[in-house]
Amino acid sequence: MNAIIVSALLGVVMMFSGIFFKNKSIIKHIAAGCLLLLLGANLLQHYEIFIIKIDTHNLLRFEKMGIFFNTITIVATLIYVLLSGKDIENTGVHVAEYFALLFFILCGVSILTSFNGLLMLFLGIEIMSIPLYILTGTDKRNLKSNEAALKYFLMGSFSTGIMLMGITLIYGGSGNFQIGQAVVSSAAGTVPNASFLEVAGLLLLFSAMCFKVSAAPFHFWTPDVYDGAPSVFTSFMATIVKVTGFYAFIRLFENQNELLGPTWKIILSFVIIATLLVGNITAVFQQSVKRMLAYSSIAQAGFMLFGLYTSNDLSKEGLLLYSAAYCLATIGIFAVLIKMKDYTLDGFNGLAKTQPVLAFTATVCLMSLAGIPLTAGFFAKYYMLASVVKAGGSLWIVIVAVLFAAVSVYYYFRVIQAMYFKEGEAETTEITQSFKVGLVFVAILIVLIGALPSVLLNYFYF
Amino acid sequence: MSITEILFFFLSALAIVSAIMVLVSKNPVYSVLWLVAVFFAISGHYILLNAQFLAIVNMIVYAGAIMVLFLFVIMLMNLNAQSEPQKNMWMKLAGVISGGCFLMVLVSLVRQANELTNKKALTVEGNIGLIKNLGKVLFSDYVVPFEITSVLFLSAMVGAIVIGKKD
Repeated sequence: MNAIIVSALLGVVMMFSGIFFKNKSIIKHIAAGCLLLLLGANLLQHYEIFIIKIDTHNLLRFEKMGIFFNTITIVATLIYVLLSGKDIENTGVHVAEYFALLFFILCGVSILTSFNGLLMLFLGIEIMSIPLYILTGTDKRNLKSNEAALKYFLMGSFSTGIMLMGITLIYGGSGNFQIGQAVVSSAAGTVPNASFLEVAGLLLLFSAMCFKVSAAPFHFWTPDVYDGAPSVFTSFMATIVKVTGFYAFIRLFENQNELLGPTWKIILSFVIIATLLVGNITAVFQQSVKRMLAYSSIAQAGFMLFGLYTSNDLSKEGLLLYSAAYCLATIGIFAVLIKMKDYTLDGFNGLAKTQPVLAFTATVCLMSLAGIPLTAGFFAKYYMLASVVKAGGSLWIVIVAVLFAAVSVYYYFRVIQAMYFKEGEAETTEITQSFKVGLVFVAILIVLIGALPSVLLNYFYF
Repeated sequence: MSITEILFFFLSALAIVSAIMVLVSKNPVYSVLWLVAVFFAISGHYILLNAQFLAIVNMIVYAGAIMVLFLFVIMLMNLNAQSEPQKNMWMKLAGVISGGCFLMVLVSLVRQANELTNKKALTVEGNIGLIKNLGKVLFSDYVVPFEITSVLFLSAMVGAIVIGKKD
């Protein structure tokens, strides 16, 4: 509850800071300070100290895992603001409003980590999406940004409509917003006598959530929107918003296996394979690194969907680890990408000679995304696949996933190859010393989590 | 057949026919006007369910405000037959098939769902839709989502200003 209240209030604070401070870099520092405040408030909840005690009438349920996930997202946002804050300033004139919208998104994130019932799920998803539609279109002079914003808004509204239809069917069947309440009398060996309305509603919800996390048959908006949006905001929506979508997705479908029956696994494995296939294979053919990262985020979504496939303890730990690893690596690589003058692969040629620090940290981030050992991405992928092995029964899907991980190495390493082994003069915008320090910090964090993943996970059990 | 049932069937038929007309009208302005008819029919349903507040709000907000906005936008965009994009035959076919499958699922759902059998709508005696009860529920059981909605509207307002203001 602390995180929800404090982030909404801090959003308002950010709006007002735009009136009082004309200097843009002060606003950035205020935002970083506010994020620290939010982090503190969220940690207080961890020790069960509440700012205001509210009876939520069982509409919100706070769990340790949700609060820990909030911590991950807030820390990731803090790193994001410190690394790319300067680029947010350069996107447009309404800097304070952009930061305010980021805080509203964090409010949506903390609702989605604690929702109990479909009403709060809907509100959380909308609070998270609407600021994003706006942030996508902030680069008003750029036609591609306008197109991306309009496309994202129309498709997003359509998927929200599908989600509402699903919620309506579930509400019509059971008369409340809780899920998994309908009577399931499943004697062994028989077809469970599930409620038709609830199953149909859950399937519609499944489609809408697949859209939000850009899983395969519903992924068509992703490349255009990620490519068209200003790079700083692409970085935010590919990381924090996406992993939160997964968290909500898994929380929603955690206990629905029984209700949906054996068909559920078939649908889900179809979605996972299609997502891995589309993401990885299409990424191979991209010439623009930004577009390649958009497809790679679809491919990573395929791995995160394994958390839904099994939902046991190992997959929960895996999801937390994956969120942290994926957020860090993607924020790092985007921070480097924003500084480049040319977003194509050729634009990276010879970066190692002109900017060795940038090239090295980008390499660490790319290796983490590919899942090379000693980086965070390796253990993230390992936990996800291990959870499937632990659940047993479907080893083939693990093998397919490993094969696609091997494909992903190809396109990530093409960037590394361009940076280190090709001749060229990679042009960057001005790079400050503190930016380099920040990047090195991110790289160290990635290696640290990769070497000792238990440190992060042990904290979760405290 | 009681008067309520006659009204119910009349309003349902009106809603379905108008909704089809929204889709088949060539002129977008006619589509919007048919949509207004759909909203009126649905408001009629709300009144049958004794939910006057919802009916009035539906009429004021949707049929009134939003549809007027729609009309303005359509007139400003100046749509005509030339600017309409040509649609691929295969895309149309795919749309018809997937839409038809979805319709089939929904129809069979309504026919077979065991929650819906032996249930009757509260037409005259129900009073949950009255403003008094609605307000009580909204400010007791659902006060948390009610307050949190303000964040949603605030972010939408901020966004409208950010997008709409001249740089």
